[in-house]
Amino acid sequence: MSMEDYDYLFKIVLIGNAGVGKTCLVRRFTQGLFPPGQGATIGVDFMIKTVEIKGEKVKLQIWDTAGQERFRSITQSYYRSANALILTYDITCEESFRCLPEWLREIEQYANNKVVTVLVGNKIDLAEKREVTRPKAEEFAEAQNMHYLETSAKESDNVEKLFLDLAVELIREAKQNTLLNNVASPVPGEGKSINYLNCCSFN
Amino acid sequence: MTGVCGCCGALRPRYKRLVDNIFPEDPEDGLVKANMEKLTFYALSAPEKLDRIGAYLSERLSRDVARHRYGYVCIAMEALDQLLMACHCQSINLFVESFLKMVRKLLEADKPNLQILGTNSFVKFANIEEDTPSYHRSYDFFVSRFSEMCHSSYEDPDIRIKIRMAGIKGLQGVVRKTVNDELQANIWDPQHMDKIVPSLLFNLQQGEGTERYSRSPSPLQATEKEKESPAELTERCFRELLGRAAYGNIKNAIKPVLMHLDNHSLWEGKTFAVRCFKIIMYSIQSQHSHLVIQQLLGHLDANSKNSATVRAGIVEVLSEAAVIAASGSVGPTVLEVFNTLLRQLRLSVDYELTGSYDSCVNIGSKIIKEHEERQLQEAVIKTIGSFANTLPTYQRSEVMLFIMGKIPVPGVHPSLGSANSGFEGSRMIQVMLLKSLLQVTTGFQTTNMLTALPSSFLDPLLSFTLMEDAEIRLLVLEILVSLIDRHDNCPKFSTISIISDISVLKLKVDKCSRQDNLFMKKHSQQLYRHIYLACKEENSGRPHFETLYTLLALISMELANEEVVVDLIRLALAMQDLALNNEDSLPVYNRCAVHALSAAYLNLICQLTTVPAFCQHVHEVIEMRQKETPYLLPEDVFVEKPRIPKLLDKLEGEVLFLQSKITEVLGGSGYNTDRLATPYIPQLTDEDRLSKRKSIGETISLQVEVESRNSPEKEERTPAEEITFETLKKAIVDSVGMEEQERERRRQVVEKFQKAPFEEIAAHCGARATLLQSKLNQIFEITIRPPPSPSGTISAGYGQTQTRSVPVYEMKFPDLCVY
Repeated sequence: MSMEDYDYLFKIVLIGNAGVGKTCLVRRFTQGLFPPGQGATIGVDFMIKTVEIKGEKVKLQIWDTAGQERFRSITQSYYRSANALILTYDITCEESFRCLPEWLREIEQYANNKVVTVLVGNKIDLAEKREVTRPKAEEFAEAQNMHYLETSAKESDNVEKLFLDLAVELIREAKQNTLLNNVASPVPGEGKSINYLNCCSFN
Repeated sequence: MTGVCGCCGALRPRYKRLVDNIFPEDPEDGLVKANMEKLTFYALSAPEKLDRIGAYLSERLSRDVARHRYGYVCIAMEALDQLLMACHCQSINLFVESFLKMVRKLLEADKPNLQILGTNSFVKFANIEEDTPSYHRSYDFFVSRFSEMCHSSYEDPDIRIKIRMAGIKGLQGVVRKTVNDELQANIWDPQHMDKIVPSLLFNLQQGEGTERYSRSPSPLQATEKEKESPAELTERCFRELLGRAAYGNIKNAIKPVLMHLDNHSLWEGKTFAVRCFKIIMYSIQSQHSHLVIQQLLGHLDANSKNSATVRAGIVEVLSEAAVIAASGSVGPTVLEVFNTLLRQLRLSVDYELTGSYDSCVNIGSKIIKEHEERQLQEAVIKTIGSFANTLPTYQRSEVMLFIMGKIPVPGVHPSLGSANSGFEGSRMIQVMLLKSLLQVTTGFQTTNMLTALPSSFLDPLLSFTLMEDAEIRLLVLEILVSLIDRHDNCPKFSTISIISDISVLKLKVDKCSRQDNLFMKKHSQQLYRHIYLACKEENSGRPHFETLYTLLALISMELANEEVVVDLIRLALAMQDLALNNEDSLPVYNRCAVHALSAAYLNLICQLTTVPAFCQHVHEVIEMRQKETPYLLPEDVFVEKPRIPKLLDKLEGEVLFLQSKITEVLGGSGYNTDRLATPYIPQLTDEDRLSKRKSIGETISLQVEVESRNSPEKEERTPAEEITFETLKKAIVDSVGMEEQERERRRQVVEKFQKAPFEEIAAHCGARATLLQSKLNQIFEITIRPPPSPSGTISAGYGQTQTRSVPVYEMKFPDLCVY
């Protein structure tokens, strides 16, 4: 195991309606750029980024899913093994906020029950077009027991924070879990990171 | 690594030097071949070092990836590949770990070249058969990543295609690697299948899109794409996957297909869905094909409330798949298939009538489109037909009975119709189910009509309620035609005309079998009555009469013995009388049509009987009609614009077929003139038919008649062969009226045995078994002659057991014999 070039590996899946800016968030975080005129994602997209948190190397596998309904079956299959989900909506689009309960149902159905979910309101650079107020979203997130963050992929606001906070949270959970389970290997490496979450084998 | 360094000190270990040496100064030069050979030789001679070599190579490779020295990355990978190939004998387990780590590393990179490089290595690895399983190896990441690559949306279309193809090959590799190894990650788990299958279908579909629309700007580019064709690769991969699926895995593999087709709304388009399922049906092991059918049926049910086009799409797929499956094994699901299809038919009728799905809460926006429902119904009926066509005869008649059982026939099958659809609903369902039945019966050929068409099938089919409506009546007639036609003679009679010489038709006729005779004994009266009454219906049109002609012709071809011929002639004459007397005040067209029908039929049957005098009579009448009343012949009636008079004058003389004349000419040829002389009168109720029917009992021999006087119950018929002088004398002396009375009673008994359900007879007979035994003993005491063989054909099936064994009088009759 000494060959591994990371201490932790986490799978993060982004979900949410089409066009809320999932791909842009990922691009901004992994490549530091904001692709204008980003087309709709087909199926799934994959990015990897290794970050260092308190001296520990954390590898983040980021699976960016298509928001379009027609790809729902393939995207759902990616929730299953996710350690964290980033549920994204567009603050300038009331509709994308209204769909959140539906997404939560999906999560409940397909993701494992220990998954960490973060609610993200994207596109805060378009403040003048805002349709969903911050308190409203915060209230919703609190009711659903999720973290809430508002970001702008364009202005790079809170994007780093989003992923890094998530990584910290995941490390905390992983450590807690290893303590609880008293498992020898502290490294949730490939194929092992989900072992403690194996309860997802039912649909 | 630390361990390695510790034992070697300052000196670089040999394997490290060997590894380092394979890398050239300039990465452009490629792998240093000579040194690679040395490394391979070393690895082969010291396999224990292989792990370390792998670890060191991968370490170098990671470093090179991080430093973007892609030339060296490729070299390292090439070396790894070569080592893997050379050393795949034993204990490569640990080496494989570092190898896979490298592949993973390459796949994590965002450079397409590295992804493709990694995939290629993985594919090579996948083709190696390892002899030691590795329990802890996980392919989760590979499946996820390869599936993702299948969906690549890289800007450059060429690279995009390359990445997608790499993804497909990678998935193929994972499948190959894991599918045969029970201990390894179960590739058939939904978590993997839900990724693999949609990814493959996505590419399969993409291919179809480009082929059909060829969106690419230049034709040159299009041909290039053709050459590479990810769709073809996908199809191959998909087939391989399915071919490897075991019984328990089919479900997991098919479910994502159904979901993909749902999500991408591909049922409506049909072509892709059909293509998918054709691939599936031809690829899976044939013994599993019924599972696919089952899943499709389940999916159809699950989509009961979806739009008609979706349902029609599923049905279409089902019909295509079922045909393929039938050659394998669909046995266990046959009735299930029909049950589901019939249920869908019924649902569709309900939707069409009520104009809404039952629970409009969820899908209130969807409006039911009548014509779509109609199309669905047609599709279902077609499916029923194509599926039935693949079944063996016995299953087909099972299915026929099954469908018949679903037809709401008031009086026979009490209200099966749903409450809300009412009369129109049950009519529509009758039509739909009869259409299905017609599909099933088309091409149905049975050697044994008796077992294939039991009373439970024929009774409802021939019941009055299916007689009133013109459309339903026609369907029933068509069903009868296709049931009776066993030598494909039907097309030869599809138009009704006077054929001067029937030899031009090249009819195929087999001798009427014993079963056929029995069938006619049992059901002929029902058939005649049905034909007769059908002629009486006011709303009959040209197709009705044409079908009636076909039916009559086929009966005479397929099922006729002498007795039946006589009855059919009587029937034809009765039809003439019907049109002549016109008690039901039919329109002129119908009367002419009935005349024409009877003429055409008599013309046919006289040639079939080959009695010259009969032929002559018929011919004369027809000639006369041609001259004087052409509107009584099919040539004038069954045409686009029938040439018929406004009023039908009283017809007489030579334009009519004469019962007396026909009786006379046929009597000369040995036909039963007694019966011919009696006009045919259909019996309207069962009761009437029982008491008045003239046809059945005639061939029963005298002995039976005599015996029935002694013991009125038919089961005691066996000793009837014993004729004493007394009884003979009595029979001769007895008055005609008395004889008539006897005949009546005898007929009732016979009738009862032919009509009553088996159970009833059995119960009845069982009760009398002991009585019979004692009576038999009593009789046998009187005469100790062996009984002659039974002369009558009647109920040979029942009587034979007794008569065959010679010392009947000694035999103890077991209970069964009395049946």
